[in-house]
Amino acid sequence: MKRTIPKYYPLIPVFAAYLIMFIIGFTMPGMWQMVALLAFYCALGQSWNIFMGMTGYVDFGYVTFIALGTYGMALGVQYFYQIEGLGIGIIFIGIFLALFLASLSAILEAAIALRLRGAYFAIACIGINEGLRYFIEGAKIWGGSEGIIFSGALTEAVGREVANQLTTFWADFAVFIIAALAAFLNVHYMRSKIGYALTAVREDEDAAKVMGINTFKYKTIAFLTSGLLGGLVGAMAWGLKLTHVFPGDVFVIHYTVECIVVVLLGGAGTLLGPVVGGLIYGLSKYWLAVILPGFQLLIFAPIIIAIIVAFPGGIIGLVKQRIKGTPLERYIV
Amino acid sequence: MILKLLAGNLTHGLLLGGVYGLATMGLSLIFGVMNVVNVGHGAFIMVGAFVALTMFTTLGISPVAAIPVALIIGMALGFFFFYTVMRRLIRAPELASLLATFAIGILLQEIAKLIFGADFWGYNWRVGKISLPITTIPMSKVYAFIGSILIALFLYFWFSKTRVGTAVRSVVEDSEGARVCGVNVGWIYALSFAIGIGLTVMSGVLLTMFIPVGINPYMGGAYTLKAFVIAVLGGLTSPYGAFFAGLIFGLIENGAYVFFAQIPGVAPFPLTVSLAFWMLFFLLLIKPTGLLGGK
Repeated sequence: MKRTIPKYYPLIPVFAAYLIMFIIGFTMPGMWQMVALLAFYCALGQSWNIFMGMTGYVDFGYVTFIALGTYGMALGVQYFYQIEGLGIGIIFIGIFLALFLASLSAILEAAIALRLRGAYFAIACIGINEGLRYFIEGAKIWGGSEGIIFSGALTEAVGREVANQLTTFWADFAVFIIAALAAFLNVHYMRSKIGYALTAVREDEDAAKVMGINTFKYKTIAFLTSGLLGGLVGAMAWGLKLTHVFPGDVFVIHYTVECIVVVLLGGAGTLLGPVVGGLIYGLSKYWLAVILPGFQLLIFAPIIIAIIVAFPGGIIGLVKQRIKGTPLERYIV
Repeated sequence: MILKLLAGNLTHGLLLGGVYGLATMGLSLIFGVMNVVNVGHGAFIMVGAFVALTMFTTLGISPVAAIPVALIIGMALGFFFFYTVMRRLIRAPELASLLATFAIGILLQEIAKLIFGADFWGYNWRVGKISLPITTIPMSKVYAFIGSILIALFLYFWFSKTRVGTAVRSVVEDSEGARVCGVNVGWIYALSFAIGIGLTVMSGVLLTMFIPVGINPYMGGAYTLKAFVIAVLGGLTSPYGAFFAGLIFGLIENGAYVFFAQIPGVAPFPLTVSLAFWMLFFLLLIKPTGLLGGK
């Protein structure tokens, strides 16, 4: 036991940050929406980081999982709401379907795209995302480009009161839980055999293979975990919260880039990075939308470029250099 | 009837494919030399489209004259972004260059939106039509096709016959070896990036012949993705491969549309787009070096 406790020390600042955010949102009136947005970015950054941070593979099509999670929730509610006595259980059907769709696509993608490296992998992931989006629109499955609007079905299944609570509070609360879960899995992988294997992959994949590491297995584990968490975020933050899904809104590469920006701002491959990045990105996006509506992207683009060029290690990378050798070191990973 | 429709569509596909090919040569050149995937590729095509639009509508200059202007603007943008951003990212991990090029693309889009607004624009260059038994083709499309072939040929000779072109090919082959042989690799990187962007902006000018009302600050995204498919089809590092792959892609895209339109209850246009990506996916799986890529 003695050896396992310090392993989870770095979770303390992460969970403290989540708790403070939650308390601020819960007690101060009018803050809940902003806190929910911050939690969304933290959860996404954390989930994306599990795969990318440790392997160095850039999954540009990550939004596929978020989109499929949203579809899972939509399909669950839309097709099962007429079953009597299901009540709140319908949400769990939705979550199950979200996980099912996300894992199905993650396994397929892992089997095919994970054999590619570098730029080829990134292009393949983009290809899968766009192919899926236009296939849904073109073949008119799941409502085609008209999407699924399931607010009526949700109200009918659980009643107006509960439906209201679900969309305004529990969906955001679940995002906090997912963010915490992602942080836990991140540190758990980082400090286990999986993490060491994946670090070897990141540094030199061929050498890792020669040393007898089953690189494909560990990559798939991390990819699947990352994808499942993405699916959960989609099911909650987009599906249950908005109660509608349109292919043109969810399969958008732009959201992957937001994940990347969050992770890179904070520091890729670190535990606290996505939290710091998510807070900074979410807050600045929120305030820029208020102060200069329509100009957020114009301001963000040069900032992104400046960060990549000047601080490739992100904020946590800088902090880590500063606190090397001090007792704080084991809390910041 | 369907055969006539198919033949007509394939003719249009071939003409468009030539421009697709030219639009992808820049992407392949930059990847081949610098190992950087330009995710903001489409934004440069958009710049070219707006160059042609502005010159035609406000100055009344024909798109033919807009081509050299586009080349100069494109190369200037290329040198600017190379020396400010890309130069520092050549040795960096993929993540950095992917995100940086994406951010450059967003920057260009937003600047274009600031100047031109988010509306759709277009112009009509009236230079007559050819009536074939299968279809009618506006001459402007034929000129665009001829233009892209001429530019591609010019690039081919520049690559194979000049000293600088040979130096670029040597850097694609082995940058360390080229450095040892006295090639100024840093300058070749800068020049190739600028030429790649210049080609892309020029192709944007030619593309306007095919989209009479489709010029918009956000038009680039679709072409970035098409360019990826074409570049992989052509072997990703070879600009000529990209040109021929562009022709093939144009034919497949326009031909498949005819068949998808026969299936009842589906939307043929999105299906055609999705076909392109499934093609990409299986191609990467079976032969990542590209159909025309050898090795």
